[in-house]
Amino acid sequence: MAEIKKYSEEELIHLLKNRDQPAFAYLYDNYSAALFGVIFKMLEDRELAEDVLQEAFIKIWNNFSNYDSLKGRLFTWMMNLTRNLTIDTIRSKGYKKQSKIQNSENSVDNISNNSNTAESFDALGIRKHLTLLKNDQKQIIDLAYFGGFTQEEISNQLGIPLGTVKTRMRTAIFELRKVLRN
Amino acid sequence: MNKEDIISSGLLELYALGLSSPEETLQVEAWVKHFPELKKEIEEIEMSLETYAQSNAIEPSAEVKNKIFASISTSQQGNIRSIDAIKNNTAQAKIYRIPSSFKFAAAAAIILLIGSIAFNYFYYSKYQSLNSELQVAQNKIEQERQANLAMKTDINVMSDKNALPVVLNGTPHAPDALAKIYWMKNTGQVYVDPSNLPATPEGKQYQLWAIVDGKPVDAGMITTEKGIYHIQKMKSFGHAQAFAITLEKTGGSSTPTMDEMYVIAKI
Repeated sequence: MAEIKKYSEEELIHLLKNRDQPAFAYLYDNYSAALFGVIFKMLEDRELAEDVLQEAFIKIWNNFSNYDSLKGRLFTWMMNLTRNLTIDTIRSKGYKKQSKIQNSENSVDNISNNSNTAESFDALGIRKHLTLLKNDQKQIIDLAYFGGFTQEEISNQLGIPLGTVKTRMRTAIFELRKVLRN
Repeated sequence: MNKEDIISSGLLELYALGLSSPEETLQVEAWVKHFPELKKEIEEIEMSLETYAQSNAIEPSAEVKNKIFASISTSQQGNIRSIDAIKNNTAQAKIYRIPSSFKFAAAAAIILLIGSIAFNYFYYSKYQSLNSELQVAQNKIEQERQANLAMKTDINVMSDKNALPVVLNGTPHAPDALAKIYWMKNTGQVYVDPSNLPATPEGKQYQLWAIVDGKPVDAGMITTEKGIYHIQKMKSFGHAQAFAITLEKTGGSSTPTMDEMYVIAKI
């Protein structure tokens, strides 16, 4: 994983619009683990998650012209594309059977302490900062980020009104920003 | 909604998470256009989520990257091959490019020529029709000018202070006929206004006579052509006792035909 940034976001976007393979390799090296973390937590199946990751990156490559930097950062676009692809996989018939088998093996706690977790990024202990987040704040972010849940589903899951989902999400991410700024 | 309300609504967070509904997404994008500062706020949210994702990153196995690059490389090769094919095609096409450009030039020249001919024809016929219209207009002006001149002459004669108007009344032969004479007392010039004489039959013409010392003297033929009657100059007389108009053969007679006398007046 490349610690030293070779490209600015603008350069990277420009190169990828021109289908530059080294830039794509850089993109993969820097973001695949973050995306894979999300896919893996949603699917709880390593092999299937790797298939989805592969599919996601091929889609990123092929549909890069659809990316509009005015609508958000590159990572956000990739993350949303990846998450949608993962949700599609979850909703497909083939997945349901597997998830029943896998469920008992992989609980949420299990995942977060997974030995596969990429360590290089966390050298300075960002994860330690994250422990400062309150549990309910972490929970709502995790549900949205790693659960692939909609606003309504989160509202049902937590037993809170839909409007409260928005405000609690706001507070949680506000705290997240504060924690990360330190 | 003001900027602060938008920021505290929590919608920007849902937007960055890809959890906003299609309507909410459009709403946020509209807000960002309206308040560009919101873009920075959203970016900060995105970056914090990005960091959060990075802190939860899990390394996939190395073969995933190989598979992805094998996949995009083959599709890329396909592209390169097709680009080569295009290049080859253009190289071949170059051989024919010069004659085809001549063809285009020739076609363009022909089109321009046809266009030019069409324009010439169009403008020439337009010129001709305008020219004939101009002729018609000029003729009409000339006619008007002559009519105007004749009328002016008439008025000048009638309004001359020396003019002695003489009304020639209809004879029993032509009771409705009437003619007027303006006799200039200073010069002896005689003018006749034949407007109220009946139309002349084919081959006939009115003739004016002056009765001088008991004898009829020819005073000239009266023109009634084209139905335009206006005051016309006749022969001059120093003295006369009467004037009469008879209908004679075209060109006139040496003596009046008394049966065909239309009007007469004694002075």
